[in-house]
This record gives sequence, C-alpha cells and structure tokens, in this order.
Amino acid sequence: MPKYPDKVNLYDDRGKLFETNVPVEALSPLKNTAIQKIIAYVKQCVAVNLEGVEKALATGEVGGKWCIIRGRSLKLDLVKNAGSVADSLKKCLQVDPDDDTEVKVLKGGKHLLVKVPAKRLNAGVEYTTGATAVAAALCCTIIENFNVNIWDADLVHAAVWGRYPQTMEMLGGNVSSLLAVPQQNEGMGYALRNIPCAHIALIAKKNAMNAAALSSILEQTAMFEMGDAIGSFERFHLLGLAYQGLNADNIVYDLVKENAKTGTLGDVVISTVKRALSDGVIKPLKKTPSGYTLYTTSDLNKWNAYAAAGLLAGTMITCGAARSMQHAPSVFIYFNDLLERETGLPGVDFGRVTGTGVEMSFFSHSIYGGGNPAVFHGNHIVTRHSKGFTIPCVAAAVALDAGTTIYTPERISGVVGEVLSEVPELRESLRYVNEAAVSIKGGV
Amino acid sequence: MVEYKPQYYPGGSNVAANRRKYIDPNYKLRKLRTISDDDLVRLMGHRVPGEAYKSVHPPLEELGEPTCPIREIVEPTPGAKAGDRIRYIQFTDSVYFAPLTPYMRAWMGHMRYRGVDIGVLSGRVPLEARERDLEKVAKELVETEIFDPARVGIRGATVHGHALRLDENGLMFDALRRFQYDKNKGEVVYVKDQVGVPLDRPIYVGKPTPEEELRKITSQFRVDGEAFRNDKELIEFVQRIHMLRTEAGFDPNKVKDL
Repeated sequence: MPKYPDKVNLYDDRGKLFETNVPVEALSPLKNTAIQKIIAYVKQCVAVNLEGVEKALATGEVGGKWCIIRGRSLKLDLVKNAGSVADSLKKCLQVDPDDDTEVKVLKGGKHLLVKVPAKRLNAGVEYTTGATAVAAALCCTIIENFNVNIWDADLVHAAVWGRYPQTMEMLGGNVSSLLAVPQQNEGMGYALRNIPCAHIALIAKKNAMNAAALSSILEQTAMFEMGDAIGSFERFHLLGLAYQGLNADNIVYDLVKENAKTGTLGDVVISTVKRALSDGVIKPLKKTPSGYTLYTTSDLNKWNAYAAAGLLAGTMITCGAARSMQHAPSVFIYFNDLLERETGLPGVDFGRVTGTGVEMSFFSHSIYGGGNPAVFHGNHIVTRHSKGFTIPCVAAAVALDAGTTIYTPERISGVVGEVLSEVPELRESLRYVNEAAVSIKGGV
Repeated sequence: MVEYKPQYYPGGSNVAANRRKYIDPNYKLRKLRTISDDDLVRLMGHRVPGEAYKSVHPPLEELGEPTCPIREIVEPTPGAKAGDRIRYIQFTDSVYFAPLTPYMRAWMGHMRYRGVDIGVLSGRVPLEARERDLEKVAKELVETEIFDPARVGIRGATVHGHALRLDENGLMFDALRRFQYDKNKGEVVYVKDQVGVPLDRPIYVGKPTPEEELRKITSQFRVDGEAFRNDKELIEFVQRIHMLRTEAGFDPNKVKDL
C-alpha cells in the first residue's frame, strides 16, 4: 500500500503521455529502480582523460596549471594504444571475470569512460572508491603496459592523480568523477548536490527537460540523504520531484508551450495560477476591500509542486527566449514575488527560492566575483538554501544558453560531462525513471 | 473553475493602485517624450548610432542548436536569434516620490518584457537583455510616465544619489553630473552618457514632473506622503505571506485553508 494517495500521469520530454495514474511513490528514490541505478552510476562512473595523461607526461606539467617539472618527461603513446590500456584497466578493476566492470574508449582514445564494479564500492563506505580505484588501476596499467621504470613511476602517479595528496582533491589530475571529495561537501548528505550545473547540462546534451530532470533527481535524492525528505516533509519533496523535475501531469511542458511564442515571465505566473485553479489545487479564500482576492489551499505541498513546475517553466521561457543562462536568478526572485502577489500564497519552497535568487544574482553578475550559473550547484554556499527546487532550473538555464558566457559549460565541465553523457540513464533520465515507475507502480 | 482575472498587486492605497497599474501589462504607459533611437543609443553608450550590433555568438541559424524540445518551441527574441551581446540600461530612482521603486522595476519589467534580466539593488536597477531587445525596452522606460527627468537617473556607474536631498532645481544628486537643469528651457538635459562619458551633443529629456503630480503617480510609500502603515490591507497581506512561509517551514501539512 502506498503511503500517500497521490497519483500522477507521466509524460516524456516532449509532452507525450507515457502512463496514467502512477502512484507518486513510484518516483521515489527509495523505490524507483532507475533513480537507484542513476545514483549507483554517479558513484561508479569515472572519466579518464587519457590525452591529458599523455600530455602531462610529455610536458612534465603535472598537478595543476603552470606546475611544470623541468627535465621530467615521458613520451608514451597512450591515446594510440587506448584499446590495450582499456583492456588492461578493466582486468585490473574487475573483482570477478564477469562482473559489471566496463571500460569504454571514446573520441578515438582521448577519453575513457570507466564503470567501477559495484562490489568495490560495496566493500567500502565512501563513494570515493570510484575515483581512487580507477586512478590507482590506471597507474598500474600504464607502468606495466609501457614498462615504466621505478624512476619514472612517480611522474605517472602525478599525471594521473594530480597534486593529491598535497591537495585535498586530485588537483590537475586526469581522473574525474561527478562527485567531489567528501571534504568539499558543505554538510551531511550534500554529496549529490555537489555537482556543477555545467556537468548536468552537458550530460543531458543540452536537452533542457532532461537536464532539469537529472538535476532534480540528484537534488531531491540528496534531500532523503540529508534528512529533509522524511516525516512531514517526504510528500513535499516527492511531489516537487514529480511535478518540477519529471514533468508529471505535463505541467512544465504545458506552461512552456502556452507561453512559448510571446510569453513573459509574468505570463507564466498567470498560467501557473490558472492551472492550479483549474486543477482545484487552490481556491478563493476571501475578497479584500480593494477587490483583491486572496487564495488558499488545503494542500500546500501540492501548491508548492505546482509553483515549482511554474518556476521551471518560467526559467525556460525567460532564459529560453534570451538563449541565455544569466537570467536565471532574476527569475527565481521575481517569479515568486509575482506569484505571491498574485495569490496571497507562499512561493516555491516557502520563500527559500526567493532568498536563493537574491544571493545567486549577487554572485553571478560580477558584483562580488562568483561565476556564471554553470558553476553553481546545490552545495554552493549561495545556492544551498532551497531544498532541491532551484538547481534544476539553473541546469535548464545552462542547457538553453547559446554561448553568452566567457567560461562556457564545456570549459567548466572539462571531460566529465561529455564522457558521462555516454551513459543513457544519465543522459535521458526522464525516460528511464518513467519506465521504472511504470514497472513498479503496482507494487508500491 | 472559478473565474480568474490577474490581479497583480494587493492593497487599498493609491500607491498600491499605482503599483497594480504599472505592473499590469494591459495598461499602456503614458508617453511623455520622444527620444530618438540614436539618442537612446548614445545615452546607453554601448555602440555608436548606426554601428552594427556586435555579437557574442553566431546567429542561431548558423550555430545549429542542440536537440532540445524546449528550444524547439520557445521562440528566441530577435537579439538572441542574431547572437547579440547582452547589454544593460540602469536606473537610479530617487526616494523623493520618483514614479517607481527599485522592486517595481523588476515586477513591472518581468510582467511586460520577454527575455529580460533585472536586478534590484537599493540605489540602482540594471535591466539586461540582448542588445537590440534592450533598445526596445529602454525606449519605453525612458519615454513614458515612469521616467521623471529630475528624480530618475540613467546611471551605469557611480549611481549614488537615490537617498540624497534634491538640489535647488529639484534634481537628484549625481556625482558625475550627467544631467543638468537648463533654466532657459526648463528642461533636464543629459550631457554625459550613462557611465559619464561626455556626449558630443546634449540630449534633452523634458521638463521635471511637478511635485503634486509625482505624489499622485508614485509607487513609493513614504511617511510624508502615503504611509505604508496606513494601507492595512497591504500590511495584512505581507504579514500573511510571512506567517504562511514560517508555518509551512514548520509543517506544511498543518497549513490548511488559511
């Protein structure tokens, strides 16, 4: 028996009906097998920049930019021999001969996508196993396959691991995971939130619906890990994930379509209120002397989910029309301001998105340094405050940018986003999560 | 479904009614002056009049957009289509009964204009957009009733002055002296562009609006004008939002039919 009575209709990223009457809990990270697979892949999948290793060895530039060890160099044809490197790496990482280890050669050998076997992660408590196992195995592989001697082995280590362990993370290394090292997480359960929107947009190949979906999955799953999505707040987050991130009842797509040609952010606010009214989520409470109607709701969680869907649609209209990511924080503040003034009901995440927008505006418009929206994530000091409702919109905004920033998402993401876009469950998360929800809907 | 008509802003005062009026995109802002396209371009100072728009990326058609269902349906603005740079116009609104407050610029701008990025600070409000889109929006912002030549400043930098006393001619303080009062004509004239670079010829922006008129059209609450505390309906509205946000933070399930 499901804990909550809510049922939703599932749609794809183009507004096509996928399945009707699916319990919202079938989309819960605690039950949806595709979400669980996505989280597992985030831990297991690691990107290797083989070209980067080759270049670092050849030039002696290891451990970060301009950090060159003069007189040290090794000319190894790693890219040309990527196939044999991949085979050896796989053998080194495997726990059993037929386990789930995978090493895929990409871009003519320049990059490798490595999936570390689940058994290695299960044998430890930290998700860093993915990166450490690949880095260590890659060192062993290079040393063995290319007969590197004892005097040069340290250079291989530095080319692969970067400056670690002098630094906390693998600074200037050529092995990277989506997840940052635990020391860089702002608090308990923040790991899945510490993924810059640049990665998300590139993994989704700049499909804004899929970027928002993946971001929402990661953010809202983190809410369970952080201790937010439990008890009185579990349904709040489940509905938020369903309606904002996963286009439940096609609200996001409908609102975008309705305003696609000429709509302003304000028009999306009005469309959102209309939709909430017609679906019976809100109703008039009373008229004030000036003639203004205050609205109320008997289901604040659902109102929040509708508002969150509207917020994403508003971002898609504003950033989509301008094909620019920088408009996102302004949307976060004024979508909510206008929505509150239109209805007399609290905005998304009960004011936390508005607050996040204020800070993010400040730090993304060169007023106080910071950076463009592509560097932001749910673990960022100025964007952590909304509980999973802001970052999916930032990811969508980054996906919709046509190239207005000096530091592009490609430049910020490096190889990680591009390499991990090869994983279908990460690239098209909406589809896989919908399929999994349908397969388990009777059992929740 | 119950009948729904957008209402834009609550409150029973004249100031609240003005706010509603300006936010409502169906209300056509009264045009008070004409600033030529070239003069507007010169005031903003991003390009020379007649100069082609510079671009930050190739036109979308040449660029080839990624496959995305949202890009396929969301029409880009003309500036985005062409790959224009993102530029700005920035205003300073005096606290002495200027037509708009900083927040009003954002509420109004997001209701009326598509694809704009508006930031609100205490003493300045930038509006950013693709360059050719910006020029259209800026035209309305400068030519209509929401721009008072004396108490609204077009200021890209050194914006200080919104909370300072007005000068002997009723003009807001401007450290860069971008605008002056022409006593002979009785008009305000810009002699420098928004960042303070001298203009090759002055740009007249019209006569200051009389104080009495400003008090009628302002969207600012002031104790020596219409005091916020006297608009009971609006105060109750703000308190309601505060209460709902707070109680929902404690337990959203308990906030029902309030």
